Amino acid sequence: MLNHLNERPINPARVVILGARGFIGRALAEALQRACITSLPVSSVDLDLATENAGDRLAAMLQPSDAIVLLSALTPDKGRGLQPFLANIRMAASLCHALEQVTPAHVVYFSSDSVYPMRGSVISEQACAEPEDLYGMMHLAREMMVRSATKAPVAILRTTLVYGAADTHNSYGPNRLRRMARKDGKVMVFGQGEETRDHILVDDVAALTVLSLRHRSAGTLNLATGQSISYAELAKKVAALFDKPIEIVGTARQTPISHRHFDITDLRKAFPSFVFTPLEEGLAKAHREMMEQG
Amino acid sequence: MSKLVIGFAGMTHLGINSAAAAAGQGAETVCFDPDATVIGNLKSSKLSIVEPGLPELLEQSKARMAYTVEAGDLKRCSVVYISADVPTDDQGQSDLSGIRALIDTVSVGLALDAILVILCQVPPGFTRSLALPKERLYYQVETLIFGRAVERALYPERFIVGCAEPDQPLPQALQDFLSVFGCPILPMRYESAELAKISINCCLVASVTVANTLAELSERIGADWSEIAPALKLDKRIGPQAYLSPGLGLAGGNLERDLATVLRFAEATGSEVGLIESFVRNSRHRRDWVLRTLHTEVLATNPKAVIGVLGLSYKENTHSTKNSPSLALIAQLKPWHVRVYDPVVQAPVAAHPETIGCVTALEAAQGVDVLVIMTPWPAFRDLKADQLARAMTGRTIIDPYRVLDGKAVVAAGVDYFTLGAPPLRNVGSTCAFSSR
Repeated sequence: MLNHLNERPINPARVVILGARGFIGRALAEALQRACITSLPVSSVDLDLATENAGDRLAAMLQPSDAIVLLSALTPDKGRGLQPFLANIRMAASLCHALEQVTPAHVVYFSSDSVYPMRGSVISEQACAEPEDLYGMMHLAREMMVRSATKAPVAILRTTLVYGAADTHNSYGPNRLRRMARKDGKVMVFGQGEETRDHILVDDVAALTVLSLRHRSAGTLNLATGQSISYAELAKKVAALFDKPIEIVGTARQTPISHRHFDITDLRKAFPSFVFTPLEEGLAKAHREMMEQG
Repeated sequence: MSKLVIGFAGMTHLGINSAAAAAGQGAETVCFDPDATVIGNLKSSKLSIVEPGLPELLEQSKARMAYTVEAGDLKRCSVVYISADVPTDDQGQSDLSGIRALIDTVSVGLALDAILVILCQVPPGFTRSLALPKERLYYQVETLIFGRAVERALYPERFIVGCAEPDQPLPQALQDFLSVFGCPILPMRYESAELAKISINCCLVASVTVANTLAELSERIGADWSEIAPALKLDKRIGPQAYLSPGLGLAGGNLERDLATVLRFAEATGSEVGLIESFVRNSRHRRDWVLRTLHTEVLATNPKAVIGVLGLSYKENTHSTKNSPSLALIAQLKPWHVRVYDPVVQAPVAAHPETIGCVTALEAAQGVDVLVIMTPWPAFRDLKADQLARAMTGRTIIDPYRVLDGKAVVAAGVDYFTLGAPPLRNVGSTCAFSSR
C-alpha cells in the first residue's frame, strides 16, 4: 500500500535516476522530460555502483531536495547465481552509504515480483514475500537495505514482466516472442503455452513511477495490470501483428505449469485515475517501434 | 416473573433491544444511561437506531420500562445487565475503558444481593479481572444481529452464561429471568463463555469465507454460487441456517473485533492461527470486489464516468455504517462524480466531498454510467430494471447481493455483475454469461 505525502501532485525538484540507460530507466527519463521534471540520469558508465567508493561519489552528486530512483541491477539474463547477487547487493550498499550522508526528499526503489513465490493464488501487496531464488532474495534484501538506510520516504515498486520495443533482456514474454516471430517466422512457447502471466508496458511503468514521485509516495506497490494472459494467447496476439503468417510451436515442457495473477486493488486506490494501456495496444506500439528501428 | 426487576445499564443498540425483549417477556425493567439526551429521546419514543419491530415492542411494553439517568435507580433490580458498547479501533482492538467506568458507576449502588451480568463483547479474562464479588458476577453471551435484534432478543437459541463456579446453580433471580425465554441455559466458566462468543463468530466467519472464496471461483469458471449454496444447506453437516451468502467482506465491527482478539491472544500464547489470518485476508480482498469490477468494466474505458451508489449502511435494516463497504468504496471514488441514496443514512460528505445525496433510488440512478447497489435494502428489490435502464446513461449495474433480477436487467439492455456468478452481458437482445 502506498501513502502519498503529497496529496496533490507536486513535481520533485530533481530526480536522480540510477540505472538511467536501462530499459525502464530510459522510459522513465523520457516520461520525466515530458512532465517537465528535471532529472539527472546516472548510468553505470558514469558511476558503477558496484565499485569501491561509489557511495561517496554518489553522495557528492546528491542534494537534499532530490528524489532518487534506483533501477541499477544485474538482471536475471546476466545470471541468477551468487556473483550477480553479490554485485547487486554491493550496488545497493553504495546507495545506502550515500543515503547515510545525504537524506533526500524521496527514494524510489525498483524491486520485482520475484520476491513472491510462484506457488499460491492471487498476489497482492499483502502476500508474503518469500523469494525462491537469489534474484528475488536480492531484491527483498535491497528493499530492506534502502528502507533502513534513510529517513526519507521510500516507495518500493515491485514490477511484474515489463515489455516494450527497447527491452534488452529478451526474457520469456512479449519481447522475445515478437523477436522470434520477426526473425524466424515462428513463435515457440513452453509446453502449449498454458502458463498465465501479467505483462505491463514500460510506458505504464514509467507513468506510474512519475505519479509516485509527484505524490512523494511511501510504501510498497506492485506494478502489474491485474490482467493475466496465457502465453498461448499472448503468442496469438503477437503473431497477429505481422503481415506474414506466424507459426506458434509448442515445445517439450521442462518445468511444471505455473500461473501468476495480481490483485491490483492497492494500485487502484493509490492512483485511481490511472488507465493502463490495453495489452493489444501496447503490443502494437512495441511492434511498430521495433519495425521502425529496423 | 412479575416480581423480577431487571436493570440494563447502557442504552446502546444491545441495551435497548435487550431491555425491550425483557419487558416484552413480562419483566419490569429499569433502563439506565448516564447520557441525558439518550434517556430523553427514549422517554419521548425517539429512537436513534433502526431495528425492525423495535418501535412496536417498545410501545407494547412501555408500562414495564422505566428510563433513568440515575444509576441509583438500579438499586431495586435483582439482576442488572451491563450493556455498553465496547468501541473498536481500525485494527479491531477493543477500548474497555468505557465499560469499566460504567461497571464502577453501576456496581456501587446495587442492592446487596443483586446479580451483575456483563452482556458486552469482552475479551477472555475480562470478567474474572473485575474486582467484584464473584458469586454475584456473571457474563452472558450476546448474539445481537443488526437488523434482527428484536427477534434474536425475544427468541434466543440458548443462553451461554459465564460463572465463577459453573458447578454451582445459578442465582434464583437470574435463573427465573432466563427461564422465561424457554431456551437451554448453558453455564460454564467465565473464560469459556467469553471464548464461546468469539467461537460462534469464528464459525460464522468461516462459513462466510468459504462462501466468498468459492463464489469468486464461481465467477471465473462459469459456475453460479446461488445454485450451489442451497445444495450445501440441505447437507445436515452444514445446515439450513449456514452463512453461505457471499458478501463484501466482514463489516459492522463485531466479527472483526473477535478475529483481532483471537490473533492477539494467539500471539501472546503461541497458538497457530493461520486460519484466522486467512479470514482477515479474504475479507479485505472481497471488500474491494466492487472497486475492481468498476475499474475493469467501466472506469478503464470511461474515465469521466458518473457513478450511482444505492445503500450506505453496512447492511440492510440498520443505520450503522461501521466498516461499511459502501463508504469504503465511495472514499476510493474521489476522481469521479457520485450520486448516492440510502433510506436512512445521509450522503457521506466526509468520505467524498462531492457526493450528491438523492432522495430516491431512481433519482440516484439518473444519468449515471454505472449503478452500484451496495446495501441490500428490501426497498431496492422493488426497483424495476427497465426504469433504472431508462434513468441511466450507461449500461452497467453492479449488484453484489443480487437485489435485482439479473436476467431482467440484461433484458433491459444493461450488463449485470453480481457476486458468485459470471457477468451477465447484454448481447443484442439476448443474455450471455461471460468469463471476461
